[in-house]
Amino acid sequence: MAIHERSLVEPERILRKERLVVEGIDVSGDWNLIILPRVINDYDLDFAKEIVNSPDGKTINQCYQCSYCTASCPVHNYWDERYNPRHFIYLARLGMIDELQKRADVMWRCVSCHKCTHRCPKGVLVEEVLKVILRTMAKKGLIEEYPSKKFDKFFTEQVLEYGRIEDGELLFGWIEKQGYKVVKDPILKKPIPFIGETPEWLKQLTLKPIKSMNIGFLMLNAKHMLFHPRTKNWNKFKQVLRKVMEEEGALAH
Amino acid sequence: MGVIGKRVAYYPGCSLEGASRAYDVSTRIVAKELGLELDYLEDYNCCGAMESKNVTFMGTMLLNARNMSLARKQGHDVIVAPCNGCSFSLQRAEYFLETDRNVFERVNALLREGGVDQLDKIPHTYHILEWFYHEAGPQKVKEKTKRPLRGLKVANYYGCLYTRPHFYARTYAHAGGQEEEVRPRKRDTADDDEHPYYMNALLEAAGATSVEFEPMHTQCCGGPHSLSDEQVSEKFVMMILQTAKRNGADIIATECPLCHASVEMYRHRLMMKGVPDVDVPAAYFTQLLGLAFGYSANDVKLKDNLSDPLPVLKRLGLA
Ligand code: SF4
Ligand code: SF4
Repeated sequence: MAIHERSLVEPERILRKERLVVEGIDVSGDWNLIILPRVINDYDLDFAKEIVNSPDGKTINQCYQCSYCTASCPVHNYWDERYNPRHFIYLARLGMIDELQKRADVMWRCVSCHKCTHRCPKGVLVEEVLKVILRTMAKKGLIEEYPSKKFDKFFTEQVLEYGRIEDGELLFGWIEKQGYKVVKDPILKKPIPFIGETPEWLKQLTLKPIKSMNIGFLMLNAKHMLFHPRTKNWNKFKQVLRKVMEEEGALAH
Repeated sequence: MGVIGKRVAYYPGCSLEGASRAYDVSTRIVAKELGLELDYLEDYNCCGAMESKNVTFMGTMLLNARNMSLARKQGHDVIVAPCNGCSFSLQRAEYFLETDRNVFERVNALLREGGVDQLDKIPHTYHILEWFYHEAGPQKVKEKTKRPLRGLKVANYYGCLYTRPHFYARTYAHAGGQEEEVRPRKRDTADDDEHPYYMNALLEAAGATSVEFEPMHTQCCGGPHSLSDEQVSEKFVMMILQTAKRNGADIIATECPLCHASVEMYRHRLMMKGVPDVDVPAAYFTQLLGLAFGYSANDVKLKDNLSDPLPVLKRLGLA
């Protein structure tokens, strides 16, 4: 017999018997695969409450576990079947934090494509809910740093600072965070491309506009890298933004 | 046609004024040719993209509300954005501001505190492709076409957020293959959710041929993780490129700077690794329309495209 969503069952709980006799009747062949039951007694219902109380997480209670979201999810289908939005919602509602923690290594891989939300017949904002689960776990210190969270924070910090994003700084800043040695000019402290370490593919790619003598494009991006584009009336707004984020505990981690 | 308005607030978003300037330039060309007017949103800020919303909810509401407030100040009810991420973020804010009274009031109070006008009205946001389709449409494109894209086989790549989720983009209420009468659009300007066709229609009107590209046409490129989760993004882009190539595409048409960047970047990496069937170049759909309207490769900044579609277009006599 097939076990659907086998990845959800720990291997030690799956028993396969060669011969199985139940109450004197030989049922081998049909019923020789057994999943041992599991007992749960450490759930934290406050966790679920926190999710329901956030504006983007309140739809979590509409879920009736049909798994349509999981069936549509490209990360589940093409990457790792342990990535399972339906299951994450289930665990979060029961407050089974340790089970969620066990899956932390795949939970962050959601690519925000919203296929799940789009397909859900119960109107759950699935993607939003999953991100609230992650956010809540992070706030409670239940989850380690993971690459996309680092990147999200790095990105948001730039928005907070300048009001706008600049591709070059984002790219080189991120490369630096990954451990490459990026050389910066001494005055403006901006990264200098082509000096220092850069991954080979990126070097080749950034060489393309130079090789094709695309001067205008290079000048524009060089200018932006030197003088980060900013939103002008930003200072007062920035303070409010910072305040809100502090309230949400978004700046602490 | 004509339900959105010919003059709208134009929210280019950060990338269109930097690495994706080709999209910005060609968008302006297409709008001008189609007789539409873009009113640049002065002093806008980043929409928070896919990243900030994972860190803060209220922060992203505020970021987008500020832009909405600027649009109102410039006298607009409608914002168009050429980026899937930007239009998603604005539509998402629109959704929460409209459906959650508490969020709306809180945001307004915070806007005032931050020295920005309160929102008297929540403007609607459209993806620029919807705008082109509804305000000009294939007929107008056909009229304006001087150099038809004859012989060009295009894979129309819409990416994920253009039609999704239906709560924000207001496409059909629910999937399931029914006819349009059975599942009406929530907004009569919205594209079909599972089988978007606006870009196909515009490019075909300009003379191009669409190749079979489902279901990859709305498959995610891994964009939000394109720097932080390279394995997943690489795999997704590989699937997209190979499907396009194996169905005979000369080129991939994009309508989002993030998808475009992700496709170009990973295409390069995949080619370096020697993965087969990934060498289809990408161009913004506005670049292709610009060419069809008689503009030169230089006018639509084709040299900016790192995947270099020039040889393909030259071979077909289109550039
Ligand atoms: S599709 Fe919706 S209702 Fe079904 S399991 Fe997923 S979230 Fe729950
Ligand atoms: S948004 Fe995330 S969970 Fe939903 S379908 Fe896409 S990858 Fe899967």
